[in-house]
Amino acid sequence: MTYTRKNVWELGGDWADPILWYARGVAAMKAKPLSDITSWRSYGAIHGLDTRLWTQLGYLSAHDKKPAAADVKRYWKQCQHGSWYFLPWHRGYLIAFEANVRAAVVAAGGPADWALPYWNYFKAGQNALPPAFASSDWPDGKGDNPLFVTQRYGPNSDGKVFVPTDQINLGAMGDPDFTGVASGGSPGFGGVDTGFEHGGQVHGGLETQPHDQVHGLVGGGDPTNPQLPGLMSDPDTAGLDPIFWLHHANIDRLWEVWRENPPAHVDPPDANWLKGPANVGERIFSMPMPGGTPWDYTPGDMAGLPPLGYTYDDFSPAAPAVQPAARLTNLGVAPAVAAAMVRGPAMASAKNVELVGANQGALPLVGAEARTTVKLDTAVRAKVSASLAAAADTGAPDRVFLNLENVRGLSDATSVSVYVGLADGEAPADHPERRAGSLSMFGLRKASLLDEEHAGKGLTFVLEITRIIDALHLAGGLTADQLDVRIVPTRPVPQGAGITIGRVSIFRQGR
Amino acid sequence: MTPAGRDRLRVWSPLLAISGAAWALLAVWPGGMAMPGLCAASASWAASLGSASLASLRLALLIDPPARIAAGWALMLAAMMTPLLAAPVRHLRERSFAGRRARAITLFVAGYGAVWMAAAAALLALALLLRLVGGGPWPVLALAFALALIWQASPAKQRCLNRCHALPELPAFGWAADRAALGFGLTHGGWCVGGCWALMLVPLLAPGAHLAAMAGVALWLLAERLDRPAPARWRLRTPAKALRLVAARARKAAAIRPLLPRRVS
Repeated sequence: MTYTRKNVWELGGDWADPILWYARGVAAMKAKPLSDITSWRSYGAIHGLDTRLWTQLGYLSAHDKKPAAADVKRYWKQCQHGSWYFLPWHRGYLIAFEANVRAAVVAAGGPADWALPYWNYFKAGQNALPPAFASSDWPDGKGDNPLFVTQRYGPNSDGKVFVPTDQINLGAMGDPDFTGVASGGSPGFGGVDTGFEHGGQVHGGLETQPHDQVHGLVGGGDPTNPQLPGLMSDPDTAGLDPIFWLHHANIDRLWEVWRENPPAHVDPPDANWLKGPANVGERIFSMPMPGGTPWDYTPGDMAGLPPLGYTYDDFSPAAPAVQPAARLTNLGVAPAVAAAMVRGPAMASAKNVELVGANQGALPLVGAEARTTVKLDTAVRAKVSASLAAAADTGAPDRVFLNLENVRGLSDATSVSVYVGLADGEAPADHPERRAGSLSMFGLRKASLLDEEHAGKGLTFVLEITRIIDALHLAGGLTADQLDVRIVPTRPVPQGAGITIGRVSIFRQGR
Repeated sequence: MTPAGRDRLRVWSPLLAISGAAWALLAVWPGGMAMPGLCAASASWAASLGSASLASLRLALLIDPPARIAAGWALMLAAMMTPLLAAPVRHLRERSFAGRRARAITLFVAGYGAVWMAAAAALLALALLLRLVGGGPWPVLALAFALALIWQASPAKQRCLNRCHALPELPAFGWAADRAALGFGLTHGGWCVGGCWALMLVPLLAPGAHLAAMAGVALWLLAERLDRPAPARWRLRTPAKALRLVAARARKAAAIRPLLPRRVS
């Protein structure tokens, strides 16, 4: 049987059958104790677990018994972030979770073909939280809707949950490569080649946007405590929010959309990706299926939906089709020549990544805005200019990336928009063309702890600013010695969030 | 190969080449073993505290003057520690201007090396002290093992290991960049000494087979660096990840062997 995941906003009603059965399935999983490896909280712990945070948020008490030690070791704290395994690991996680919900649905007399709906916040009029998640009442009861979560605060941390569409984008869908680098250039559509990675320093393109950003915007933070995130804002609590699974179904769908548009987009052919970390002796990807039977999988098993027995109701291009030739035309290459160039070898991934400039000193992020100046190295800037000017000859102008390096802090519930090249008196809101992008600091708290996996390195965010650099080049040449960078939080950042940006830098990626 | 794999290889290849060359030199140049040699010579001195043995120490210092001992120690560091520097060297390379990469890495290595050279004096003094209190060579070696075992299991060791994974932000321009690269080397060196000193005592106090003991310690240090940072607490620490990686390779090799054509005898 092929299961079809459908758009939650197009099911035919706020409490259409698929969402009502989802709620009943969730209720059944929530009724199981933590010690049951297929319980709701255990499934959350497979993504991540922070004992202190869970206790503070009321999801763990001294009376809770853990599952068997072997199961905890096999399944818990497994999520892959900041890694090229991000997409395949989450695909398996979704499939197994869906199977567990379906088993509960069927046991309660529901449809045998039940499938998880997805939330496509990009579609016009569908960026609000689906109503079934927004009220504590539901068709089966008052005040105990299993899909409702109090610790879901929204972009302004006021309990109004929606995804501001100007703060999400599908730029990653245009990335020609699945994998990339952690050295300042493009991390690729799917992330950087790592081993088993419960939380890497640089997130992949789709992971950063829209994945992380939607996590942060939906979760928000507790307005009364700057260090207490909404469930969705922190990887160690995200799997506890029922909306998590609809968000991830959409991310999973976007992977398939990327693969199909254009068909030249391919997953990594490398054995280390296909066979997964277990191939080199690291942890295996494994999920408890209904009844607690283990299901082991590799990324290679996850490539392609038909063999996995499910599909989506919509694979239409999620963003306007990316036209690599359009950039060349914009830089003065004749359209026919540009079209030929993008088919040629010159457009193959550029291998050289090089620092172009950086700010001086760490930048604290407090209040409504943080400003800094990135000083450019004259010689490297000239290299970028020359590559843009020679686009007609080479067909391979540089790509340019802004890095927010070693970002550290105490709260993941922070999302920001970053602007490049604004003059002093210019208001960011008036200049969307100068917006480098928006991001949420999903995973920040844990990455900042000295005695945890990241050794306190924090996270490094990469935003492509090629479009802005092209525009500056076309508007009179890239001659500035420095570029102003402004970081504008969605809501003012409290002092208690303790966020600092170690360095703001600009990198070129080219020949 | 993936783009990130290429980045890793770019740094790993020269570091392994340097380490390999240093091991080869150590194997053929007697000066490379000057420091463990001195420690071994001191054994008889320590055992009897007699004037004849004191003379043997003097003789050892005459054969291996301090400069030669320092050169031998530096060579040993190059052999054992270079592979441990892959992550910081990659960080310096990737986050510095292309024109400053060599300079930044040199300053880092200078800082790192300076800390280890200073540590040599302290380690030598400690080794001689252990000789004094430990009696014969085997009890002394047992003492060194016990000390290493306790340190290896301590939270302080884990803390040092964790800090060895830190990659700080680096200023890009001028003196600030130079200072930061040197400072990174000094700090990294400090945590590295903190993590490795107890194990380094073992080859220094081994009565013989110094090169083999050093190679064993070097492999262990590299292996434990592969593990992720973890909360600092008392526990017996084994380089679990390295063992798993080796086991997986062995399994793969075993799986391939039956497929290979058999040799006709």
